[in-house]
Amino acid sequence: MNLRIGISVMLASFRMRLTTISRYRGQLVMDIFIPIVFAYMPILLGRSAGTYAASNFASNTGTENYVGYMLIGSSVFSIVSNAFWHVAYWLRWEQESGTLEILYLAPTHRVWVVAGTALYSCVRGLFSSIAAYLIGSLVMGLNPFQGEFLLALLFILVGLLPLYSLSLLYGAIILKVKEANALVSMMQWGVSFLMGVFFPIAVFPPLLKLVALLFPPTWMTNGVRSALLGVGYFFNAWYLDLAVLWAFILVVPFFGYWVFSRTEISIRKNEGVGQF
Amino acid sequence: MSTLNIPQASKISFIQAELSAFWAMVRKELIVMLRYPVNFVASFVQTFLIVAVFTLGGSLFYKNYASQAGDAGNSGIAVYGLILFLFMSDTLWTIGYNIRNEQVQGTLEQLYLSPASKFANLVSRVTNTLIWTGLLSITGGILMTLMIGELPFKNPLLGLYLLAMVLSGTFGVGFAFAALTLVIKEASQTLANFMQFAFMVLCANFFPFRSLPPFLLFFSRLIPLSYGVDAFRSAMMGFPEGMPELAPFSVELIIVTVFGILMPIVGYYLYRWSEKEARRRGNLSNY
Repeated sequence: MNLRIGISVMLASFRMRLTTISRYRGQLVMDIFIPIVFAYMPILLGRSAGTYAASNFASNTGTENYVGYMLIGSSVFSIVSNAFWHVAYWLRWEQESGTLEILYLAPTHRVWVVAGTALYSCVRGLFSSIAAYLIGSLVMGLNPFQGEFLLALLFILVGLLPLYSLSLLYGAIILKVKEANALVSMMQWGVSFLMGVFFPIAVFPPLLKLVALLFPPTWMTNGVRSALLGVGYFFNAWYLDLAVLWAFILVVPFFGYWVFSRTEISIRKNEGVGQF
Repeated sequence: MSTLNIPQASKISFIQAELSAFWAMVRKELIVMLRYPVNFVASFVQTFLIVAVFTLGGSLFYKNYASQAGDAGNSGIAVYGLILFLFMSDTLWTIGYNIRNEQVQGTLEQLYLSPASKFANLVSRVTNTLIWTGLLSITGGILMTLMIGELPFKNPLLGLYLLAMVLSGTFGVGFAFAALTLVIKEASQTLANFMQFAFMVLCANFFPFRSLPPFLLFFSRLIPLSYGVDAFRSAMMGFPEGMPELAPFSVELIIVTVFGILMPIVGYYLYRWSEKEARRRGNLSNY
């Protein structure tokens, strides 16, 4: 199959999913609303903590702006969560509705169909999280363009490829264990925990910190926070942190694809992909 | 004699049939649950992660979290709030959204073609929620106590009564949500997400109501479940100063009792109405 046809399949898959979601506008509104509400939870915890909440927060994180800190965390989390949710749930949906096996019979490689889903998820996730950050900032009285906004955006964009490659890894787990709902829910909280959605990963014990540092979203979150709020880069310079994300691009996609292919082959040899 | 006995016998056999159908459905739900062991493990891990995310987030506002947050009564507020949040969240997904799963898998219409009790079908889902979420709540409570600090444990009987009433009302909300799922179909997933987060903020599960800005507090006061959360944790914490926050305890007790008795009836009525509408329109299996 040549590249032109592959891209055409990817765009068709992307368009199909965009058309489907355009029928559910409420869902798009919720995509924007949920990160704001999610950030609001720890903000309220801060408000109930008393007079020294902001100064204590500053001594723990490097900024007194806990509203911005939480809002950035939940907005980046929204992109990450969307990536995992859309790819994993797409696979599960195809399984449940009995169309996954049909996809394998089509003369198109699955990777292009998955790429279409990833592209759709990427556009939807980026739009909703940026909108959530802007609207949330306005509602909570923050300046959304403080700090280096474009640099923050660069951290997000560079982090997208390793992120979606990781979602492929997750898709392989869904194919294997066939229990998407609980796993996706657990993953959402697991991802938020590892990337430090509401706290710096400095609070982790050394081993857990190492695991968090091997997870690209951790670098995305800290990069965006450092660019906008000046909490401090892991390597004390933005280009070094960004270089780590570039390094992830060189490794994670191949690893994700390799694991997914291996899982796929093993399942097809045994029970088949249609069984759930 | 025989004319008197026939209706009685048929009444007994009707009750027996209802109970038998109910038990069969509970067993079926339990078997399905046991077939997915990863779900078990994932739910436990998820509870730990929820606790960890909010505890670590909250700890940043204190110099010494364990002692300061404990002094402020935050441990009781958060742990008892977590228990109610887990039930609330599971009810929305397990009772309400499960109807959608039956639609997607194509088994909902088949259930309606069978002579089995529709009531038993809906209530059987509650049993699993009670067992499973009960276990999760205990685990979550213990974990949170370990992370935040000593948990106040006063008035257990009053607390148990309030918990039973809140759960009963929450199941009613689940029935009503199941009704809504039949109407709005795919959008119900979004709505369940929305409701989960909206309840989390408006019912102040993890923080005191006084942290809410006035316009949100206004909406909190409109939700009976908020009074349930407030009354339950106030009672379990031995009514510390400033609690309950929304209304005097006697008023909250009445609201929670009425909610616990009426909501399941209203929820079930709504479900039957929605189901009849779907059958009349012929779109029960449409999704």
